[in-house]
Amino acid sequence: MSLKSLDPRVTRLNLPEGEVPPMEEKPELDQFETYEAFHQKKEGAAHTYVGPVHAPNEDVAFLFAKEQYSRRFPCVGLWIVRTENIQVTPYGNDGENVYDMLRIEEPAERTEQPEPYEIFHLKKRGKAHTHAGRIMATSYLGALQEAKQQFGDKGPIVNVWIAKSKDVLQSAEEDKDMWTTIPEKKYREAIAYKVMDKITKYKEENKPTTAQ
Amino acid sequence: MYGGGNVFEATKFDNLQSEDPVKLAEFEARIARGEKIEPTDWMPELYRKQLIRMIEQHAHSEIIGALPEGTWITRAPGFRRKMAQMAKVQDEVGHAQLLYSAAETLGKSREQMLTDLINGKSKYSNVFNYPAFTWADSNIISWLIDAGAIVNQMANAKGSYGPYSRALERICAEEAFHLKYGHDAVVHMATGTPKQREMIQAALNRWWPPIMTFFGPSDKMSTHTETLMRWKVKMASNDECRQQFLDMYVPKIWELGLTVPDPKLKKNQETGQWEYTEPDWDEFKRVINGDGPCNAERLAVRRTAEERGAWVRRALLNPKAKYVKPLA
Ligand SMILES: [Fe+2]
Ligand SMILES: [Fe+2]
Ligand SMILES: [Fe+2]
Repeated sequence: MSLKSLDPRVTRLNLPEGEVPPMEEKPELDQFETYEAFHQKKEGAAHTYVGPVHAPNEDVAFLFAKEQYSRRFPCVGLWIVRTENIQVTPYGNDGENVYDMLRIEEPAERTEQPEPYEIFHLKKRGKAHTHAGRIMATSYLGALQEAKQQFGDKGPIVNVWIAKSKDVLQSAEEDKDMWTTIPEKKYREAIAYKVMDKITKYKEENKPTTAQ
Repeated sequence: MYGGGNVFEATKFDNLQSEDPVKLAEFEARIARGEKIEPTDWMPELYRKQLIRMIEQHAHSEIIGALPEGTWITRAPGFRRKMAQMAKVQDEVGHAQLLYSAAETLGKSREQMLTDLINGKSKYSNVFNYPAFTWADSNIISWLIDAGAIVNQMANAKGSYGPYSRALERICAEEAFHLKYGHDAVVHMATGTPKQREMIQAALNRWWPPIMTFFGPSDKMSTHTETLMRWKVKMASNDECRQQFLDMYVPKIWELGLTVPDPKLKKNQETGQWEYTEPDWDEFKRVINGDGPCNAERLAVRRTAEERGAWVRRALLNPKAKYVKPLA
């Protein structure tokens, strides 16, 4: 006997009826590795952290993040970074500046070619990391030091994330049209449902019998 | 969707004796100051375990909750309703992803959570073990189950764990649509033909008992509960949530001339509290432990999806991939 459902599609799956036998433990990485996503809400705004996605590679991560984080609300840009490629400072208390708490030693070697790094700041615990800017450095530590010089005095900063610019997959100018239809999908907006009008009309028409 | 998070297997409460008293004091002071906890902060084992359990169950509820409504996409009357129903179901699955990630930051892998769901080791909201017989049932779920979930989620968004709060903020923004969409669908039926009215009333009658159990039985006030409230893990008691839900939605049901199938339901004007027939908690326990009309189907469908997708995931897996916990 196979499982009969109210949903004909489920019935057609021909699943065995009754108790489901235990499933084997999922193997490690069955759900892939993780990537962190940052979105840009409008032209000129800083990219802001929206959350992670699980994906087999950067491009799929971009696709998943586009669906997960930029499906419903205005968006003009999306950045993806492999979680592993982001260096994180310790967290400070709210109101503190984490740059002041870190002893950042001079990087020993300065022989390599400097390359660009992206710096993200968290201003308050529970909020989202926001892009502070790009700096040139030869290492993560050097980048942190440079970031302190350039952006370190901008009020409370409880945490800093650093990624090499080459590790950031950025949506391009010509990608922007992928978000142009978002405002057209009015059926996903609460304001599209004029419930009160219907209720008022109903009450008008049913005055004597609506008392409960 | 989410409900009744604290009625399942209790975490052992060890009076926090094994925790470092200095770190514990700092942790509690941070929460008392109104600061959020972030993943790399020190936290008591009880805090970590309880949050994993709560967030994981919340995630499972979103993904399983998408099943009874997903069933109605192809049969929703009209193109616009199909589009809206599809958008809502997609939101719910997205909520599951957000929540799984939040739980992951606490150290439980998504692989393990999905395995535990399918093997019945961790639960989801019990209401989804009931069937959605008609389109009207789907409308009642969209409106009132989501309404219950929103009461819960709004409270939990003010909780102390940063990643959970961030996820809930996004979720609440999307839920605003669900609530209006569901309300509109119910209003459409209730103000329609006699047949439509009859259908929506019948669906409400079927769903009312599960809805009344949605927030779980009254909390036993214990040191355990008090600790979780002090740590802003549990933000309101089950009864407070239920009362708030009744306050907000019973008048909206009545104004449509629909009836609630509970003769005892009324607001006591002196106490300001709703009185109602005590839900059947024995049935609740029986169903949550597997003996409900849809438990087997829900898990079988989820399991099939996992199994049939496995080869695709294996084929896509980069052999050099290395797992790192999401950052926040
Ligand atoms: Fe929901
Ligand atoms: Fe949801
Ligand atoms: Fe919802």
